[in-house]
Amino acid sequence: MAEPYLVVEHLTKVYERGHVVALKDLSFEVQKGEFLVIIGLSGSGKSTLLRCINRLIEPTKGRIFIDGVEITKLSPRQMRKFRRKIGMIFQHFNLIKRATVMTNVLTGRLGYIPTWKTLFGIFPRNDRELALRNLERVGLLEKAYVRADELSGGQQQRVGIARALMQQPELLLADEPVSALDPATSHSVMQYIEQMNQEDGVTVLASLHFLSLARRYGTRIIALKDGELVFDGAPEEIDDQKFKEIYGEEAEEVEIR
Amino acid sequence: MPPKYPETYLREKPSWMAWERIADFLYFGFKTLGKRLSIALLDVGGIAILWILTSYVIIRLSTGEIGYALVPWWTFGIGVVEIAALWESFGRSFGHRVARLELRRGDGGDPALHQRFVHWLLWHVSVLPLVGLLPTPPLHERASGLALRPFTMEGRTPKPWWRTSTGLYVAWLLGISVVAAVSVTISWEDLVRLFTNAGSTAKFWRSFFSPDTSIIVKTVRALVVTVFMAMTATAFAVMVAVPLSFFAARNLMRGLIGRSIYTVIRVAMSIIRSIEPVVWAIFFLVWVRVELAPFAGVLALFVHSVSDLTKLYAERLESIDPGLIEAIAATGANRLQVLRYAVIPQIVNPYISFTLYRWDINIRMATVVGVVGGGGIGQDLFFYLKGNLWTQAGTVMLFIIALVWAIDYFSARLRAKLA
Ligand SMILES: Nc1ncnc2c1ncn2[C@@H]1O[C@H](COP(=O)(O)OP(=O)(O)OP(=O)(O)O)[C@@H](O)[C@H]1O
Ligand SMILES: [Mg+2]
Repeated sequence: MAEPYLVVEHLTKVYERGHVVALKDLSFEVQKGEFLVIIGLSGSGKSTLLRCINRLIEPTKGRIFIDGVEITKLSPRQMRKFRRKIGMIFQHFNLIKRATVMTNVLTGRLGYIPTWKTLFGIFPRNDRELALRNLERVGLLEKAYVRADELSGGQQQRVGIARALMQQPELLLADEPVSALDPATSHSVMQYIEQMNQEDGVTVLASLHFLSLARRYGTRIIALKDGELVFDGAPEEIDDQKFKEIYGEEAEEVEIR
Repeated sequence: MPPKYPETYLREKPSWMAWERIADFLYFGFKTLGKRLSIALLDVGGIAILWILTSYVIIRLSTGEIGYALVPWWTFGIGVVEIAALWESFGRSFGHRVARLELRRGDGGDPALHQRFVHWLLWHVSVLPLVGLLPTPPLHERASGLALRPFTMEGRTPKPWWRTSTGLYVAWLLGISVVAAVSVTISWEDLVRLFTNAGSTAKFWRSFFSPDTSIIVKTVRALVVTVFMAMTATAFAVMVAVPLSFFAARNLMRGLIGRSIYTVIRVAMSIIRSIEPVVWAIFFLVWVRVELAPFAGVLALFVHSVSDLTKLYAERLESIDPGLIEAIAATGANRLQVLRYAVIPQIVNPYISFTLYRWDINIRMATVVGVVGGGGIGQDLFFYLKGNLWTQAGTVMLFIIALVWAIDYFSARLRAKLA
């Protein structure tokens, strides 16, 4: 088997405030090109895990390798450089609300452009072209100069995807990308992410709330419970028994179509 | 039969919720002083204040004299400390509540009466000399088998405030403070004059309807000076306050050094702000000995505006959405870029809005500052009032009212647009 793209070794995260152990000695590997879905109850540590992988949150213990680089050893400066390869999208989109869609998409290039230029809002011509191409790809070319907060939730998330595309990432972290959207819109957004995975070969780590979505899009699923890995396998392997283990005895599966 | 829930659960806003907010605020000081010392100080101090206020009101109302303790001072001292000791041992004191602690047995159960008694006895040995507080748990807690535990509402129902000792205590404190405050500041004779002596202001009111037209040009000129004073002060204050606000925002100043800078700036600003612009004006009049009086006024407004704006700006910074910062940082942006694309877009409009608001305040303040000699229209007003020139004073007032109203109106309109 090929060298895994992402390796997480004994990852532990303790939040000082409240002494919460959010992740407990977590270890797993992800191959290049996988679509890994992370499931688990609210508070099980999904967001924490994703943010440890690009070190928006500093892990307390453990090591993380991406493409052979031990990112937990990088200096803050080196880490910033490294983050260019890691796109991220968020549950609440996290766009600059008062800025245009175009500006929002262009921020995906910040890591590649000299700082002084970006401070004046100057982006090179080819970056602007790239931005328009990515907007076209997510079907929002017409909205390029509309204010971001004038878009619907689904459209805003597509802007988020376009922003991540601007980084030309190798890895995409998606923290509940569709939790704020209705079922139909959820699928359209998920399909853009799937497209990134299949056409551009981007390795995807996405946390999802609905098992039906996880089954439909994931090539592999891991489940967290109270910060511990309780399942790691193919989507089909999650039967009723496993489901109860992950979500608790009382839970019942909800379909989203 | 429907299950019976405690009344306090059903009320829309349980009384203990609002209380938690205040407790949060007081709790801040606790971390620095140490829990038990803070609790003791809070209880002893509070009871002392309550005693003094109550005595004052009793003495004042019964004899008309002024007195504070009713009893010899040594009795007062022992009494206060003893009440605190009893309260902390046999109930849940105000201090306990603020710290969100309660006295429990080691195994978590309700304390027995004899344990509380031991706790009370040894409290004197342990808390009074203060050193007893150094070991954890201190002597009196160890010997009684009791300990201060985090208080939890789990499995309990909240009591209405009038059934808790702290509720009654706070109510008494508030009530007696109001009574004392009224009796200090208002006398019967004052009240009588308020209702019978209104006629003596007639001269003043009449002048509103017969303004002195000969001073209009002079007044308008002073008015312009006042507006300029406010503008200069605001403009320079913005230049200082904007950079300062970043160092005064809690969420941006992390780590030991960051937090110390934050604290120093915040404390300095609140001290400066607590001194009125009028006082600052007098201070600067003495300092710069100006011929050109407006300069002192501008300095006074400037200093006060810096502290006020820094606070307003910093609070806005503290409430920005961290999600956007994450998103921009996740693209590989550096700190400056995060500032430019995640922080600034969220603060521009509020900053402008706060600045306008402050300018508006500064215009009003500028007239007040003028009264002590800080230049502008206030100085004119003071001159006329001192010389009993009622007509002229009324004319000036008329202009001030018009100006303040106009500025108020326009700045409100502008700010609404920005929101
Ligand atoms: N900044 C923080 N400080 C302290 N504790 C935190 C912080 N962020 C998260 N936690 C705690 O860490 C645990 C894991 O949180 P996390 O946000 O990773 O869960 P999650 O699986 O993403 O949940 P959700 O589905 O609700 O988003 C929770 O118990 C949470 O309370
Ligand atoms: Mg989450």
